[in-house]
Amino acid sequence: MGNPGDAALAELLVTREVERFLIREVGLLDDRRFEDWIALFAEDGTYWAPAKIDQDDPWEHVSLFFDDRELMTTRLARLRHPRVHAQIPPSRTSHAIGNVLVEPPDPEARSFAVSARFVMLDYRPGHGQRSFGGRYDYRLVRAGASFLIASKKATLLNCDAVHEAISIPF
Amino acid sequence: MLESGGGDLSRLVTDTRVHRDVFHDPAIFELEMERIFARGWVYVGHASQVPEPGDFLCTRIGAQPVVMTRHSDGAVHVLYNRCGHRGVKVVAEEQGNARRFVCMYHGWTYDTNGDLDFVTQPEGYPEGREPDRVRDGMGRIARVDRICGFVFANLSAEGPGLRDWLGANVFCLEDLAASAPDGEVEIAGGVHRYMYRGNWKFQIDNLSDMYHPAYSHESSSRPSGRQFVRRKGDKGGIEFFEKRGRVKSMDPLGVSALPNGHSWQGGLPRIENNSDIHRDYVARLEARHGRERTREILTKTRHNVIFYPNMAMQELNPHIRVIRPVAADLTEIFVYPIRLKGAPERMFREQIRILNGTHSASSMVQTDDVEAFARAQQGLATTGNEWILLAREGPETLDHNTGRVRSIGTSEVAMRNHYATWLSLMSRG
Repeated sequence: MGNPGDAALAELLVTREVERFLIREVGLLDDRRFEDWIALFAEDGTYWAPAKIDQDDPWEHVSLFFDDRELMTTRLARLRHPRVHAQIPPSRTSHAIGNVLVEPPDPEARSFAVSARFVMLDYRPGHGQRSFGGRYDYRLVRAGASFLIASKKATLLNCDAVHEAISIPF
Repeated sequence: MLESGGGDLSRLVTDTRVHRDVFHDPAIFELEMERIFARGWVYVGHASQVPEPGDFLCTRIGAQPVVMTRHSDGAVHVLYNRCGHRGVKVVAEEQGNARRFVCMYHGWTYDTNGDLDFVTQPEGYPEGREPDRVRDGMGRIARVDRICGFVFANLSAEGPGLRDWLGANVFCLEDLAASAPDGEVEIAGGVHRYMYRGNWKFQIDNLSDMYHPAYSHESSSRPSGRQFVRRKGDKGGIEFFEKRGRVKSMDPLGVSALPNGHSWQGGLPRIENNSDIHRDYVARLEARHGRERTREILTKTRHNVIFYPNMAMQELNPHIRVIRPVAADLTEIFVYPIRLKGAPERMFREQIRILNGTHSASSMVQTDDVEAFARAQQGLATTGNEWILLAREGPETLDHNTGRVRSIGTSEVAMRNHYATWLSLMSRG
């Protein structure tokens, strides 16, 4: 084992690296670079927004969405369609991400866990501004100098509320 | 504007037109809550949502908070959610289990059938003034009845029974139950909830509308002209466009109007699905019903079925949708998956997956519908033309046994039928 300071420094560096990755990730949504955003997911990656607090099962209980890459692609291709009525005019969004915690990677596991908190503002001209927020849970996979998302779970604080239509991913 | 109840209203509905006040006027909305929701049969919930004694589920009948309970003797009751003492809403949690309900204000305590169990500091009520177990209880709703577990309630003791009110729609519930290999269904897998700033009747009308999909939902179609594939093993998504972008008519599917405002979409073509899950399901049905009856069950004769005024059911991807009016221009919709008991577990997972994509607040289909409902409310703020037009029609056939009128898919006959019923319910004194 090396100097204990080395481990602390390594943790700091990986946390910073993960933070930068996540800031870029949610920024792609704000910039409407949906195709680039999907490319951050692993081939078998999933993107999930539960409809219940503490929901641990996306199969037996409904969710706001639970998308594999194919569904993500369908969902976001729709946002490019000239007659996507629910998004005329389109939303402007601003994601902020914080409280990023990187779990110590398990050398045996393919992916490692990251949790964070987020706030997303959603403004559709003529419709007032809405705010969404809650917790992100990721599993990330190291891929060269960056990461791939094995799973992203966005649990809204009010995930079980009666929502108006939500079109832009969190 | 509305001046008084009754006769005035007949000018709001003609053979082919409905006046904008029907959607906009808060006084009309108040009257709807009284004459449609507080005097007729309204869907409340499913018995499987309160399986054990003490289980309860809070909901509303029109504007009134109610609680559906399972009493210690196994009976399902629907209670007014208010204390007999000073009117405070007693049950605050949406769902749960309780031996008794205790009012937060002065501690009055009720049995799960709504009867007053005991009053705190009873010495304050001398002889002749003691609260009465029933009169001062929470109050049971006058009539509660159920079919295949689907619980309906009627605040009024007057008028037809549930089966008479539902007519041929009873078969829809029975067919749904028959499509479960164990012959029973249950509500499972949670609830999708969404709301929109528009009138509740827009959702009802939309559920009998086969004219809108290619236009409203175009963004969910692919360059092939078909919508995304919903169920693994399906041959393709719903066809919106034929070659050269021409809209494919849904006329051949048909739409039906039934007495009392109920309606159906479809028949639909027989399910052609080649997945192993579906084959497993078919095998289980055949084991129970035999081949011929199974074939009948799998030929879905209806798509959305409306139980006027507040529920719609779908058999193809089994779920029910409950319409909860909040104000003339605000509506909540709750969508509950239905589990077919005895069907393969993986089939329910498929249902959940499809419903996420079509019916959640962030789905790829429903979002366009609620946009249409909100824009209808906005558009009807204009006064240049005070009417909406429901004039589309096609050849009609009448089934004398059930009173069902069937027409072409894009006919607005079902909507005209909704408003004929609306007028007759609203005009009762």
